[in-house]
Amino acid sequence: MTIEEQIRDIVAKITHVDKSIITRESTFKEIKADSLDVVQALVAVEETFGIEIPDEEAQQFKNFGDFVSYVENHVAQTEKV
Amino acid sequence: MSLEGKLALVTGGGRGIGRAIALKLASQGADIIVDFFRRRDTAEQTAKDIEALGVKAEVVRANVGDPAKIDEMFDMIGNKFGHLDILISNAASGVGRPIMDIDVKAWEWTMDINARACLLCAQRAAKLMEGRGGKIVSISSLGSHFVLPNYTVVGVSKAALEALTRYLAIELAPQGISVNAIAASAVETEALKFYLKEGLVKDNRQATPAGRMVVPEDVADVVAFLCCEEAFMIRGQTIIVDGGTSVGLFALAGKENNEHS
Repeated sequence: MTIEEQIRDIVAKITHVDKSIITRESTFKEIKADSLDVVQALVAVEETFGIEIPDEEAQQFKNFGDFVSYVENHVAQTEKV
Repeated sequence: MSLEGKLALVTGGGRGIGRAIALKLASQGADIIVDFFRRRDTAEQTAKDIEALGVKAEVVRANVGDPAKIDEMFDMIGNKFGHLDILISNAASGVGRPIMDIDVKAWEWTMDINARACLLCAQRAAKLMEGRGGKIVSISSLGSHFVLPNYTVVGVSKAALEALTRYLAIELAPQGISVNAIAASAVETEALKFYLKEGLVKDNRQATPAGRMVVPEDVADVVAFLCCEEAFMIRGQTIIVDGGTSVGLFALAGKENNEHS
């Protein structure tokens, strides 16, 4: 399972939307994620991948794709270390 | 009043009221453990500012809404320091919604962080205070007593915190642990800016008889007092820090009525 698929599963579970509607271009609003859903998704993803996503970074995410890219880059960095 | 040689944990100690409390206790000589959840940068800055006061600072990340994270935090404190003198349960979160929009998730999120965490932290802290006594101060809000728009879940969680404070004060008294809470009105912090933006609170400067809004340092000063031996006989109380807002409401309403007549 790719990082993107795992994050899509986490987000769909939290927002109770069908994961097929979550694309990299989807905004959090489009996937019916309110601010609490976003925080819970961040926490769940942090725990799944063992990383920390600072709020100031998360606030820059414009869509699901930004979220995934951040995690992909961060997990890759951690693995290199 | 001195807290020299004491070790304090401030949950949510990186910013806002928690940061002011951490710095105040540090200025009285206490070493500080700063817990944070979402903002490592501000927590680390607070730790630097604490160290500049000549005491030790430790940063720990824990979401106090998660019991496992609370356990991890206290395991770290136990292993590294072996004791704790002061617990400040300050970390808080909340979902601002009208009653009809409150769902189980919003309720549990808020209650877990604002109320349950105070119990779980107090239980673990009390064990680290065994044989030496200690002080526990939790941060409440006027929303526990008064109705604010879209504040239901937070207000209820703070009411639970205040009731818990009374029970803890009695049950932990034989162990030499003092437990109290502080209820502030709207305090000038980043969180307040959010609440103002969302229309959850109004700027209440004019409704404050003391003539200005409560600032984090006002709360921190009272916390520091409650942590000192001079406050030994204050137990299970919720001290209101609001510049007179709550007792002045009636007077203000009267003033407005007079203006209209």
